[in-house]
Order: sequence, then C-alpha cells, then structure tokens
Amino acid sequence: MSSASAVIVAETVAEVRSRRLSLDRDRSRTGVMLVIPAVATVTAFLFIPIGEAIYYSMTNWNGITSQWIGPSAYLAMFKNPLFWRVLENNAILLLAVPVTLVCGVTLAALLNERVRGWRIFRAAIIIPTAVSWVVLGIVGIQAFAQNGMLNSMLGSVGLKFLEHNWLGSPLSALIAVAITFVYSLVGVNTLIFVTGMATIDPSVYEAAKLDGASWWQGFTRITIPLLRRYFMFTFVITAISAFSALFSLIFTMTSGGPNYGTTTIEFFIYDQAFATGAFGTGALLGVVLLVILASVSLLQLRLMNRGE
Amino acid sequence: MASPVIRSEDERTEPLLEPLTGAKKRIRIAPGRAVIFAVLAVVSVIIMYPFYFMAVTSMRSEAQYQLGRGFSLSSWTQLFASVPVAREMMNSLLVCTVAIAIILTLSTTAGFALAKAHFRGHGLVLLGLVGGMMIPVQSIIIPEYVNFVGLHLINSYLGAILVYVAVGTPFATFLMTTYFRGVPEELVDAGRCDGLGYAGVFRRIALPIAKPALATVIVLQFIPIWNDLLVGLLFLQEPTVRTFTVGLGVLASSRVVSIPGLMAGSLLSTIPAAAVYVIFQRFLVSGLTLGASR
Amino acid sequence: MTTVRLENIRKVYSNGFEAVHNLDLVINEGEFVVLVGPSGCGKTTVLRMVAGLEEISSGKLIFGDRLMNSIAPRDRDIAMVFQNYALYPHMTVEENIGFALKLRKVPKEETRNRVREAASILALDAWLERKPSQLSGGQRQRVAMGRAMVREPSVFLMDEPLSNLDAKLRVQMRAEVSRIQRRLGVATLYVTHDQTEAMTMGDRVAVLEGGRLQQCDVPQALYDRPANSFVAAFIGSPSMNLYEAQMSEDGLSLKLGSQRVTLPGVVFERHPALVGFRGRPVIVGIRPEHLHIPRAEGEPFFAGDIDLIEALGSELLVHFSIDAKSVHAGKVEEEPDALAMVSGEGIARTGPKVKIATGSRVEIGVDAEELQFFDPDGGASIWA
Repeated sequence: MSSASAVIVAETVAEVRSRRLSLDRDRSRTGVMLVIPAVATVTAFLFIPIGEAIYYSMTNWNGITSQWIGPSAYLAMFKNPLFWRVLENNAILLLAVPVTLVCGVTLAALLNERVRGWRIFRAAIIIPTAVSWVVLGIVGIQAFAQNGMLNSMLGSVGLKFLEHNWLGSPLSALIAVAITFVYSLVGVNTLIFVTGMATIDPSVYEAAKLDGASWWQGFTRITIPLLRRYFMFTFVITAISAFSALFSLIFTMTSGGPNYGTTTIEFFIYDQAFATGAFGTGALLGVVLLVILASVSLLQLRLMNRGE
Repeated sequence: MASPVIRSEDERTEPLLEPLTGAKKRIRIAPGRAVIFAVLAVVSVIIMYPFYFMAVTSMRSEAQYQLGRGFSLSSWTQLFASVPVAREMMNSLLVCTVAIAIILTLSTTAGFALAKAHFRGHGLVLLGLVGGMMIPVQSIIIPEYVNFVGLHLINSYLGAILVYVAVGTPFATFLMTTYFRGVPEELVDAGRCDGLGYAGVFRRIALPIAKPALATVIVLQFIPIWNDLLVGLLFLQEPTVRTFTVGLGVLASSRVVSIPGLMAGSLLSTIPAAAVYVIFQRFLVSGLTLGASR
Repeated sequence: MTTVRLENIRKVYSNGFEAVHNLDLVINEGEFVVLVGPSGCGKTTVLRMVAGLEEISSGKLIFGDRLMNSIAPRDRDIAMVFQNYALYPHMTVEENIGFALKLRKVPKEETRNRVREAASILALDAWLERKPSQLSGGQRQRVAMGRAMVREPSVFLMDEPLSNLDAKLRVQMRAEVSRIQRRLGVATLYVTHDQTEAMTMGDRVAVLEGGRLQQCDVPQALYDRPANSFVAAFIGSPSMNLYEAQMSEDGLSLKLGSQRVTLPGVVFERHPALVGFRGRPVIVGIRPEHLHIPRAEGEPFFAGDIDLIEALGSELLVHFSIDAKSVHAGKVEEEPDALAMVSGEGIARTGPKVKIATGSRVEIGVDAEELQFFDPDGGASIWA
C-alpha cells in the first residue's frame, strides 16, 4: 500500500486541479443535452416568430412584399381612432374580471361550507370551463337573441323593460361577450379559491370564534386577507384570458361586430391580417398585445414579491 | 419522509375537499345551511341550463325547434351526414395526442435539466422560457403562418402541432421545473451512488415519480388544444385535416345550418373536454395553483 | 476491503467560503469512523466529497491505492445511507434494495437472493412488496440500510441516518447499525451531530468544527483527554463545566470568580505543563460526575447557588451558578447537548438520595485528579 501511495504522490497539484470540474461535467453535459430540444423548438417556433413580428410591425408587409416604415408605424397606429376603439372594448371587457373574481370567491366560500351535495355543485360550477369558446359562442347567439334565454329569464323575473336584441347593438353585444366570459371563467376562479381556502388552518377560525367573531367577520378578516396571493393570481390569469383567449368566442358569436363593437385587440389582429391582408399591421398589433400581457405579468411578479 | 413528492401530490386531492374539521362548527354562526344550499342550487341550475338547452334542442328537428316541443334525432343524423364527424374527431385526437406527447418530452427533459442538472447559464435559459410564457399565440401567428406557407406546413398536421408545441412548451417546462425542484436532492444523490449518471437519474428516478406532474401538463394542454379555433382555422384549412372544433366553427359561421344540428355538434365537442376535466380535476387544480402558492 | 485516506482535503466554494480546511483522516479496513460536529461544521461536505457528490477543491482522496478525486460516484463502489433515507418512492422495498444490483447487471436470481438475505437480516421480509410510503420511519431506515448493505461496497457512507427516528428507536438502531457494520467489515464513515451516537458507535471519532479536524481518537480518549476546550465541551452529556480562572503566582490555588479553590499537588503531577501558567489566566474544566455534593473531607471545593435539580431517578443533575465566567467552546447553539452552559452556570451529578434544596448555597467538592486545563489562547488542552 505504501508503494502505491508513492505513485500517487507523483501526481502534481496542477494535475489534480485540471480535473477539478470533471465530476460536474456529467451533470452540466447532461443538462445541456436535455435542455437543447426544448430551447431549439421554442426558439424556432416562438422566439424567432416574435422577432419577425417586431420587424414586420414596422413594415407595410402584406405577406409577400414589405417596405420598411420604421417606428412611425406605431405612431400611425396610435393616431388611428379604430385602434383606440378596440382598446376601449378591451378595457370594458376588463371590467368583467373583478366580477368573475367576486363571483368566484363567493361561490368558493359557499362551497367551503360543505352543505349536502356540495361536490355536485362544484362539478356544475366548473363544467363550463371545459366548454370551448366556439360552443359558448354558438350557444351564446341563442342565449342573447331577441327570443333567447336571457330575455325570457328577464321577463320571468319582471325585468321585461331590459329585454333587448343583445347582439344587435355594439355596447350590449360587448356586455353579452362579457357575460359569457364570466360564465366560462367563474368555475376556474372558484376552484382556485376553494383550494386556497383549504390551505387555511381551521384552528384560525376556531380562535376567531373564541374571540367572538361572526361568520362574516371571519370571512372578511381571515379568509380574504389570507387569500391575497390567490386573488392576485386569479386576477392575472383572468385578465390575461380577457386579452388573449376570446378570439374563438368573438369569431363565432359576433364576428367582432356590430360595427367593431366587440372587436378586441386579439380579434383585430386576425381581422387586419387575414381579412384585410395587412400583415404588417397585424404584426404590430400582436406586439402591442404582447407588451400589454408582459406588463400585466410583470406587475403580478412585483406585487407578489412585495407581499413577501 | 422518503417519498415527500408523491405523498404531497396524493394529499393535494383530498385536503382541498375534505379536512376542514372546523367547518362544521363554523356553520352554527353561519347563515343557515338551507340558504347556502338554495343559493348553490340556483347557481348550478343557471350554469347548467345552457347544457340542458343544448341537449333538448339537439333532439328536435328544425321545425320542432321553432315550435318549441317534440322529439327527433334527425338533427343528429343530419350532423353526421353533413360533417365528417369521425374524421374530424380523429384529426382532433391526433393533433392533441402528438402535440401533448412532444410537449411532455420537451418539458420533462428541460425541466429536469433546469431543476437538477445545472449547467452554466441554466438560470438564463429558465428566465427565457418563463418569458416565453407571456407570448400569446396571436402575437406570433402571422409570421408563423407566413413561415409555414414557405415550409409547406399549412394544411399539414405538423404545422398546427408545432404551433401548439411552441406556445405550450414554456409553461409546461416551468411546471416541470417547479416539480423537479421539489424532488429531494438526496434522491438524485442516492441514484448516483447506486450507479446512475444524471441521464439515468432522469430516466429511472425523476421521470417515474413525476407522473402527477405529467397528468397536470396533459390536462392543462389538452383543453386549450382540443378547443382551439384560431390555429386550426389558419393551419388546418382543408376539410380533410380539420379538427372537430374548427369544423364546428366553420359550420357555425356558415349560418345556413340548422340550430339543432349546431347544438348536437356543440354537445359532441364538449364531451371529451368535459370528461378530461372531471377525471383529471385534481391535477388541474395543482397546476393552476402552482402560480398562486409557489 | 479498502482503506480510505483523506490527505489534505480542502473544500472551497465558488463564493470563496472554505468549508473544509486541510483535512487528514484515515478509515482503516473494517473500521467504523464517526465524523461528529455541530451543524455547519463541514462534516456532511466531507462525506459528500468522499462519495463523489461534491468536488474536492484540493488534496487527495484515496481508496486502497486508487486516487478517487475525479471518479464519478457510480464508479467509486460506495454505498450511502441518507438522512431522509432517499428511498425511491416509485419502487417497492425489494426494488429499492435491489436497484443498484440491477444497474450493475447482477443476474436476477442472485439479486433476488441477496435482497432476501439483506431483508431477513433487517427483519424486512414481510414488507418486500410495499412501497416506501407505506412503511414506518424505522422500517424506511432499515430499507435504506438494506440498500447499502446489499451492495457489499468497499466503503459505507452514512449521513445522520438515525436523526429522523424517535428517541427509543434511535437507541435500538444504533446497536443494529453497529452490528451490521461489524458483520460486513466494511470501512465506514458515519456523520452525525449527536455526540452520544458518536461515542457509542464509533471505533474512532473525528470531531470537526469550523471545517477543521479538532481531534480524532477512540471515544474514551476523547472523553478523558480532549485535545481542546471545544472537544471537551462537545463530547459528554451533560457537558463539561468550563470556567475562566486565574492561577495564583504560587500555583497553589485557582481563582474562580470571587472564590479561591486550592490546587493539590496531584494536579501538577498530571499536568506538568501547568507550571507555565502560574499567575496567568487559564480555562479550567471539570465533568459533572467529578463534582461532589456533599463534598468529601479534605478535597478542594467551591460554593455554588443551586438553581435547579433534575431528578433522573438513578441520579440527580444539580444545576448551580457561581460568579465565574463560563466558557462557550465554538458555535454550539443548535446542539442542545452542548448548550448547557450559560454564563456562570454549571452542572453536578450526584446520587439520587442527596438532600439539597433549590435556592440554597452549597459547597461543591472537586475531584482534583480529574480537573482539565486549557490555554485561554486557542483552547488547546494543557498536559505535559
């Protein structure tokens, strides 16, 4: 054994040092190999296209030829009243987000009381989320028609004066879209809030009860504050849906009309590029949409980090 | 202790459904249970009404629909006669399956690398992929469309699949990375001591224990791909490659088809997604709340 | 059969933190060496370097006659037992234990036999088809042992394998682990923060603190002749009482706070080097069992206020305080065993029948032969 160690001693410090990272090599090499497919795919089909979109947004591209316009393309768009009209539609639609959240947290609180059959109610509430926007659009046309579900419901509860051909005028059509939006997303919101409520330690409520808190106080002073993160999260995913998930609904239910009344920015992209052939304008709107969504996400990150 | 990952997944199902032992006691100071029951019942009826409407309407002929009563399966037979339902369903299934398979492959490998097999710059790669989550499909659809025209990928399954993969992979990778981060480092070490390299650890340890996360990815990707209209509309225009949702959208926009027929189609398209939803509900929740609870 | 040698091993992290300083350690064939120290002392880092899970910054790691520094863990022929057991949750007990053999392409039949044999030694026969999540903590621990045993490795590495067990089971498993190790006769490096575990299990114990080896010896030697005040305080429960004191010019007494304790000649016989400390400050140490209440006739003593009496049935632990400054050796805050000393406090061990009252002031006798002395500058023990 001693002769063997003499052999080892012959190794210089430099030799040892040169092998220093050899143990980590398997790890980093495997890591790189495993990450390459995903990175390559996402780069080729997501990052390069978004780069192209940014480039083409400053051209008058029609899919075949393009001429460079430069950043002034954005200025021109910002001067276009139709653009602001579309953004206004988006802004109005955004008002449906808090409605969805309030409905969601209310339903979650009710489900959380575990009354008889609550699992069935829960299933009923989340089912609409699985339904495609295309189907919701098709059913929505029937629901909001002159002789549709909504009007007959309003009539039966004595609100006949509100009866209306909902899809016939711009603002009411947008409201119809918003109602459908709430209908579809309230289930997901409820589900998330139910999950959040399950994370609250029941002994907190017991303690509050001993302190003389009512159910309502328990709800507003304990449940709501402790669900803060869940509120922010649902707000963000619901807001992002309002901006980027409604194409199919608008396509089938209103086709963006009447008179651009239900054209949101994502539908506007499709409309400009594939109905008008203004690919450059479509790309520009796509970049604007990305900027909006990125701002919402970054805002969420900041809020969440500040809360810690 | 030895299997924290798996157990926390299992527990995730029931805790949110079951364990509020305090809940029952709270009721005493709550508004009456009957009121809660009534409210939930009314809300459920309102929410389910459109499904009732779909079901009832689809089982009437056009004339019976106008009349508001009667029973007939003629709209169902008409639907199958006018739309290649089976073909479109197969297309939907094919596109969904292949796209999700690719997303799973890419996201599990990348997720493991980013969580456990660190390399120089792994943080940057993760940041890039997370950044990719913010890109909506509408922002890339135009350049993608033009590129794919050049590559002859329009009206080919592959074209649509690649778009779904590109949009779906960043979030799936984020999810898998988070999951693999939760796998104890000791498990990796144990595998290495037992005779595995990092690739072996991935294949024989990390992947098998990631089944709950795989289920989450599947359900979170299946619904949007199955229900997608925009990508399908542009990349799968030919009737032979159309998915069912696209077929339905096209049918609806033609505005000549009978309303009962449309309802039959709507119902048909809803069934698979709703089934996946109900079956995989717990994985859906765990995926959705990942962002909320961190 | 392999001897493990660590020669001048260092671990420097990329942020410049030096976790392990120039460590030399030998684990002979079949020997059970325990590496003990408070958390953060670098003991786990040492173990992970031996396993190959962590790079060695410099120095040499030698198994038998092979330099192992850059050999991947899978090629080192080591088996490791982890603190949280690290059982594969998707495999049954049988698959867990046999996994390494399967990877080494050991024939199925042989794998089966070896797994069964290990299982029967560990009394796991009835659980082979279970998944780890269906087992109790003690059973999981045994599976982890089985997984290491079945390999018949050349080196056994254990990282606090008993720390997640409850107290009773831990005592039971100590004996069992020792028994298995002797049976296999494999060089073993065992890491723990629990000095009792170290003392009861190790053939030799290496005490690590701040990334430096403090002392490595057989357990009794560590207890009787600690190399420095850290080892003195760390080994033994309750800890050795350590106080700052001042030796008189004539060397006949020790000033302990405001009191004077006589030093009989036997002290200088045992600690000749103490002569050099006359008239200088010194750290004096005495184990609780070497303090006597009531004091014996003629032995040196000091007076202390009784704060608390813990009756353990077979003995009393008498907590007292004096106005001398007690010494805290190293960062021991996370180890309750080593934490016993707050300023001026000490513990004496007495028979169960002794009648004393909390709050009273008593004379505490000192077994002068058992006094230990340490240099206040650096804490090295003072002997010859």
